[in-house]
Amino acid sequence: MKRRSWLVLLAVALTAIVASFAATGYGGKAKPAAKSAGTIEVLSLWGGSEKDAFIKVTTAFTQKTGIKVEYTTARDFVPVIRTRLAAGNPPEVAIIPRPGVLSDLAKQGAVKTLSSMGLTNAYMKARYGPAWIKLGTVGGKLYGVAAKANSKSVVWYRPDQFKKYKVKPAKTWAQLLTLTKTLKAKGATPWAAGAKDSWTLTDWFENVYARTAGPTKYQGLFSGKVKFTDPSVGRAIRQMLQILNNKYLAGGVQGALGTAFVDGIGRVFGAGAKAQLYFEGGFVGGIALQQVNTKLKAGVTINSFPFPTINPKYDSPMVGGGDLAAAFKDNADVRAFLQYVSSAEAGRIWVSTGAIVSPNKQVKKTAYPNLLVRAEAAQVAGAKVFLFDGSDLLPGSLADDWGALLQNALQKPGTINSLLSDYQKKAAKEF
Amino acid sequence: MTTAPVARRALSLLSLSAQAPPIQVPQPKRRFGRSREGSLKERLQGIAFALPAIAVLCLFVIYPAYYTVRLAFYKSDFLFSFTNWVGLDNFKDLFEDKAFFDVSEFPPSGAVFNNVRWVIIYISLCLILGLALAVLTIRVRYESFIKSIIFIPMAISATAVAVIWLLVYSPNADIGTVNAVINAFGGNPVSWLGKESTVNYAIIVAYVWASTGFAMVVLSAALKGIPTEILEAARVDGAGEWSIFRRIMLPMLSLPISVVTVWLFINVIKVFDIIYVMTAGGPGTSSRVIAYTMFTETFSGNPGRGAAVAVIMLVLTVPVMILNIRRFKSERVMT
Repeated sequence: MKRRSWLVLLAVALTAIVASFAATGYGGKAKPAAKSAGTIEVLSLWGGSEKDAFIKVTTAFTQKTGIKVEYTTARDFVPVIRTRLAAGNPPEVAIIPRPGVLSDLAKQGAVKTLSSMGLTNAYMKARYGPAWIKLGTVGGKLYGVAAKANSKSVVWYRPDQFKKYKVKPAKTWAQLLTLTKTLKAKGATPWAAGAKDSWTLTDWFENVYARTAGPTKYQGLFSGKVKFTDPSVGRAIRQMLQILNNKYLAGGVQGALGTAFVDGIGRVFGAGAKAQLYFEGGFVGGIALQQVNTKLKAGVTINSFPFPTINPKYDSPMVGGGDLAAAFKDNADVRAFLQYVSSAEAGRIWVSTGAIVSPNKQVKKTAYPNLLVRAEAAQVAGAKVFLFDGSDLLPGSLADDWGALLQNALQKPGTINSLLSDYQKKAAKEF
Repeated sequence: MTTAPVARRALSLLSLSAQAPPIQVPQPKRRFGRSREGSLKERLQGIAFALPAIAVLCLFVIYPAYYTVRLAFYKSDFLFSFTNWVGLDNFKDLFEDKAFFDVSEFPPSGAVFNNVRWVIIYISLCLILGLALAVLTIRVRYESFIKSIIFIPMAISATAVAVIWLLVYSPNADIGTVNAVINAFGGNPVSWLGKESTVNYAIIVAYVWASTGFAMVVLSAALKGIPTEILEAARVDGAGEWSIFRRIMLPMLSLPISVVTVWLFINVIKVFDIIYVMTAGGPGTSSRVIAYTMFTETFSGNPGRGAAVAVIMLVLTVPVMILNIRRFKSERVMT
């Protein structure tokens, strides 16, 4: 009896060890099935209205092809995709929010080229403009399908309040400053900002920089060719601070730094809100209407105008963002999915929700449900110069650090030069 | 029956002197954990019992720890592989990074010193409040009711705690509780999380709110373990409540206090989630802590540097763990 019991114990222990090693062994080397599996997983950071809109598209896809789509949300996209790749378990398709990440992944050979999956360059060029093709291209090969576009050159305001204060939207920076001063003089709080989320500040900077230093320098700065110690950078930050200061911001600089992006929208469009202007992307409209204040009426209590020009020489370049769909595995289902996502049919369903703007040329303007999205779609389609959100192109931790630098610049405008020279030291190592 | 332990004690005494010849003493059967006395079979049995635990430890603790330490010497890539040996460069970079370690001005700042601030303020506040609540609640009739209310935040995840306190601290007086109160008294709203001078303390207070319950429950249980005879004897001898607390309760609670302190210390070194949700290390980099730097470096920067931060964290926690284990051992000998 005694002997048998300890033999059993030893056997149990041994099997446990063997099993655990076997499990790790298999987990790391699992290969994707080459044939159609009937279900694909799509990973993205979309939640809320963006997620609902995407689910509508995938539902239509499933109805059409019978292929099921499992949608996974990862708000923290980069850590999730990195760990899943390291574990040998990537999703079939991921919608990547930053071209910098796509380029990292493509260089490491983790994503498939579109041409190897039947989406030829001619097919793509018929559907997407050159700016979008360029965003999805790494080392001369096309990897990403532009799934969603947005403008980040939009200033939001309340038309009813503007009527009350007898002011008009601004077309130039000088007019914007006058507008700000007039509102202040009439006792209103001119601006709100959600600067606790530092990406709202990087977007401010990008718009000012593109309009003061020009698109060439803009692209050079965010690809490591122009130094952050270049005088144009400090000048653009100081120009931003003409508006983002204690005088004009709701709650002052500290108040803005303690306010998150959505709360910032609430300070202009929430019930009983006092601030008048809010700068950010076209997506503010959807969030304001659906989450912040459902009583808002497009065109009456909420509207937008494009970010004003500063130097007439550079006109009004559009700073924007976009998400790119890329495949980590290649099989018939994945091919069918990418084909569908890039089709006009999918685009129509997608934009009808009002949650997104499609970069697809074949999607007609009439497919957009309201004035706010239509205006953004027109801006995206009509932009003479489209500049991708620069901080999303910065490699490594530079993106986070850039946002932190701007937060510091708001608090201590006197230290801008030393902040920039410290940052340049870091940047020199990363590029 | 009682002869066996006596005999064994005699044996162990005898074996201390090297010259003593071995004496055959009847051995108690089926005793594990003394390999010197056990037969081969018994030793194997011991190993068999320990093996699964050792295997799990190796797989989930030893191997990842080894991997991390090794990774700290590489630049690495997003697959966390050992590419680009850089020697100690990762550590050098970290200590040159002002967001991590800045001694150029007084008081020193950066993630490391924020953690020091956390260690001092968070641990002392939790202990003082926990002890005070434990001593005070024991005297009232609705003790369990009060204790459960104070303990509730322990059951809330740090992310939810962060969201709750985001609302409390909101600079918009229509939303933020604290600012609503300030407003009611005619003051100007303060942006608790938007100011470098207040942000760390604001988050620490939120986390103290979430952890005091633990300190209170442990200390209160220990307090009840103090024999009432001792307390009564002291009272009979004319000791006041304060001197009872200082001269009897406090010394008798020293072990639980040290256990709670170690738990809080480890909690502080790994604090991340609440900061990530409340400020993401901002404004600027003023509320970053070591674990936060580890996260950003690992996932958006260079995994090697992230691993280097992890190694620093390990180095910081190990001495405390060793102290604590020593303490446990010495207590066991005493009782």
